[in-house]
Amino acid sequence: MNDSLEAKLERFLLARLPGARGVKMISLERSTEGFSQETFSFVVEIDEKGGAASRRAFVAKRAPVAGLLEPYDLEPEFRVLKALSDDPLPSPPTPWFEPDPAVLERPFYVMERLPGEVPIPAAKPDGSGPLDPATRAALTPQVVAALARLHAIDWRARGLTFLGAPRKGNDAALRELARWQARIEATRLPVPAVMQETLGWLRRHAPATDETTLVHGDFRLGNWLLEETPGGVRLSGVLDWEMVHLGDPLEDVAWCTSLLWRAGSPLASGLVPPSEFHALYAKASGRTVDPERLRFYELLSLVKMSAIMLTGIRAFRDGRTPDLRMAIFDHQLPFLMAGLAVLRGWLPAPAE
Amino acid sequence: MLIPPEQLIDGCVRTLLETVLPGIESRFARGQLYAVADVLRNLRDRLEEKNASLELEAQSLNDSLGRAASALRATGHTAAYDVGLRIDKSLAAAPTAPLSARLGALRTVMASALEALDGLSEDVTKGAKAALGGHFAAQAVREVMILKPSLLSEISKG
Repeated sequence: MNDSLEAKLERFLLARLPGARGVKMISLERSTEGFSQETFSFVVEIDEKGGAASRRAFVAKRAPVAGLLEPYDLEPEFRVLKALSDDPLPSPPTPWFEPDPAVLERPFYVMERLPGEVPIPAAKPDGSGPLDPATRAALTPQVVAALARLHAIDWRARGLTFLGAPRKGNDAALRELARWQARIEATRLPVPAVMQETLGWLRRHAPATDETTLVHGDFRLGNWLLEETPGGVRLSGVLDWEMVHLGDPLEDVAWCTSLLWRAGSPLASGLVPPSEFHALYAKASGRTVDPERLRFYELLSLVKMSAIMLTGIRAFRDGRTPDLRMAIFDHQLPFLMAGLAVLRGWLPAPAE
Repeated sequence: MLIPPEQLIDGCVRTLLETVLPGIESRFARGQLYAVADVLRNLRDRLEEKNASLELEAQSLNDSLGRAASALRATGHTAAYDVGLRIDKSLAAAPTAPLSARLGALRTVMASALEALDGLSEDVTKGAKAALGGHFAAQAVREVMILKPSLLSEISKG
């Protein structure tokens, strides 16, 4: 039996595609963009029982041996994606999850590949942001509408209570803080003083929220699939649901507008100034973007990213991954500490 | 740096030989790659982190903690005064050499000070926090200044 990745995926699909007599891999490529789960993009030709043949494109996400969000459990995000497959929110239809490591060495799920490309969240060589003005103008309302739609989803009706709803009050904030602090502690790496001070501030200022929504957890430039159409750019997909949970919707707003995703510009996720994004979201969602809650989640965003990077550094240090991309986080972490110093007021803020 | 330079170099060599090399067809380029691996392997045991930046951090920690202790003692608040005294004593007890031991001790004093400040009200700790914030800011700037422009976008694009 052919044990190549191609052959394994062919067998997997053949067993699941109704009416398929044969499945042949046409192309398979591992994506370089994602730093966490392994992402394979592939096209297959399907021989159907009636004699017809068709081509379909899929994406498989597989748990890595070691990575930034370990330990990995792909099932919650799969269940969310499957539950949202018929929602107007542009997320990839995701029909299959395979927990058995015998199939592809580690658990994975397969989703349909949506049209479009993912712009890298970094400045262009000339120093300009990743999106041109026309793209920004066309994309901003779609992104804001998608985020508002995400937060309007009736997660109870969609069967997503398994994600675990926080209690009323400041439980959502404290729970997220505890989640990321626990990850930092699990790395057993020294915590920089500025982060220790920030963690203390966050514990004392965890804000209460009166509503619980689905929170994507990684909604930002770099996880948006953009399709060029004759009518202009279209947000064709919201990707990377690894950190999905139930919580405060402003967590997503703060993450999306964080210093982390300015892409060499003063613009939130390369789109519009953060304050403008907040105002647009408030209008689209009907929510008040409370500055105190936002401040908490802005700081938590940097703590969260630090926790992710520290996890990668620890995996590299332990020799559990040879992936040098984990090692370069050692050179990224100081920028996050500078960001914390800015947000805590120890350093002057860059002009918006 | 959280990853020792030797381990970083080992990782670079491994990536070059196991991931990059199989994708290179030109014999000359392969030879050059082996040469790079050879240089890196021989460099690994000759490197150490520069002392100057560690000395600056130690000085900054010592100064800011000293100022924080003074601010706490000046509040007139009993618990804050005690924390200030404890910081002073810990600073006095920190070894002056070797640098690694001194830095380790000062970082521990900072961690303990922050933990103690967490137990006090914010109005009492304001002055001390401002003093420590001076260190946070200076240290953040020092660490960012020595970094080269990130190639993260190229790494992502592949």
